[in-house]
Amino acid sequence: MIKKVATKPLSWLERIFFIDFVRGLKITLKNAFRKTITTHYPYEKITPPKRFRGFFAHKVVDGTEPQPAFQEWVNRYNIQVEYGKSRCVVCLRCKRACPVPQLFEIEGKKLPNGKRVVSVFNMNMLLCTYCGFCVDACPVDCLYQTDIHETASYTRKDFILTLEILEQIGKDWQMRRGNEPDRIWIDDEQRMKLWYENDVKLPKPEGV
Amino acid sequence: MHSFWVDLFVAIIKISVILGIALGIGAFLTWVERKVAAHIQRRPGPMVVGWHGLLQPLADGVKLLTKEDLFPRYGDKFLYHLAIILALVPATLVFSVVPFGPEFEIFGYKVKPILSDVNVGLLLVFALGSMAVYAVALAGWASNSKYPLIASMRKAGVLVSYEVVITFAVMGPIILAGTLSTYEIVEKQVEQKLWYIWLQPIAFVVYMFAALAEMGRVPFDVQEAEAELVTGFTVEYGGMKFGLFPLVEWYIEGLTLSAIAVVLFFGGWSPINIPFVGFVDPLFFLGPLSPFVWFILKTTALFLFILWLHWTLPRYRIDQITQSAWKIMLPLTLFNIVITAVLAPIVWR
Repeated sequence: MIKKVATKPLSWLERIFFIDFVRGLKITLKNAFRKTITTHYPYEKITPPKRFRGFFAHKVVDGTEPQPAFQEWVNRYNIQVEYGKSRCVVCLRCKRACPVPQLFEIEGKKLPNGKRVVSVFNMNMLLCTYCGFCVDACPVDCLYQTDIHETASYTRKDFILTLEILEQIGKDWQMRRGNEPDRIWIDDEQRMKLWYENDVKLPKPEGV
Repeated sequence: MHSFWVDLFVAIIKISVILGIALGIGAFLTWVERKVAAHIQRRPGPMVVGWHGLLQPLADGVKLLTKEDLFPRYGDKFLYHLAIILALVPATLVFSVVPFGPEFEIFGYKVKPILSDVNVGLLLVFALGSMAVYAVALAGWASNSKYPLIASMRKAGVLVSYEVVITFAVMGPIILAGTLSTYEIVEKQVEQKLWYIWLQPIAFVVYMFAALAEMGRVPFDVQEAEAELVTGFTVEYGGMKFGLFPLVEWYIEGLTLSAIAVVLFFGGWSPINIPFVGFVDPLFFLGPLSPFVWFILKTTALFLFILWLHWTLPRYRIDQITQSAWKIMLPLTLFNIVITAVLAPIVWR
């Protein structure tokens, strides 16, 4: 059933004295003298939330891997685990999950001792839509997205993330924000400035 | 012979001062507008170039001047450039009949701070105001593009209907003052100790609506309607040619129409008025400068009010605009003229 809601037509008094105009003008005047809420971007920067979907990174092996899943996958693919290197087990699930066929370029190699390790992991960020499907697909919590979002550059080359760059970004991010509680919004002063007024009072559902 | 050279010298000084005001302040008003708009939306606006972005108009000007000069293929070059001149010149010419203050004496010469005190000043204002239609129509036609053409036709429609309304709206003050000269209208208001707004509120409201329509400001900015027509009839103009149209339409016309509104309804350079009793001047300590300051204050206030309206209201549809012009505003102004004619003898006394 559709509930029909009609706005009340303006009364003659409201029409003659432009009451709706005056109401609108009151609101804009009130806002004109309030404090501005913007950040002065190149000079001030907001820290993005921890789960921000920015540039990609590889988490490195540092003892915080999700166990026992990580060990199972390592055993399954016979992976050489090295401390401080990428956790990647070359399962290619990220490549399969990706909606863009050419984005990932992943290769593994066999070491003389019979174990395997990832050798090439290129991501072409020019094709990326930052949807995060690859992050969802990663079984060992290796590939993930960071808060790096100012990625403008003069050359296309800078948009190819190689294994070294991914590991580097990952180490940097884990050092900066690895210990932060995993929340959507961090309690940042700047962000509070944006949101403190948003105490939206929702109407109570009828007949409860 | 001697007095001729003095008159010429005085006229040249007046012209340079007025041109300086019209073009200098006009450019500076872009900054004012951006600041007002930004603060209404709780942004700080331009902040980088100079103190609080005060040099922004300069930077914009340099940017516009150094841009590539494009001309639409199959456009009419002569009309294309004529439109710019037709937009700029009449709008600036209106300043010649705006009285900035009362007559004063300097080095033994009496100087009226008005470029030419024509005895049909108001007629001149609205004659020049009507010229805007040609500029808009030509700009749209000469561009040889569909959006400008639609925009210019819309604007021409709005202008034609509101020209009639605005002319009828100012009839009220003219009847009360008994003259068409802008300088004398202000003098009459000082003499009668009455701002005409007290007796002509309807005329003032209608005048403001018509002024908004002529300036192409919200709620009558159908000719520009960003969502539908890109930027209206200026789409095919580039660089400073593009910059001139908004400068003329929004700022120079905005200033002149606010100034004329101040002259007609707020007693020009006179201080705060108590109807039929007299004037209260809180700025008396400024001495002979006080009338000029009052005039500038009132014009500024009115201009800021227009900006405030612009950044508050939504846009009307073209049929609603013309409908309100012909069906509501015009009968209202005619009614107002009748009322004024009845009331006039009380004011004349």
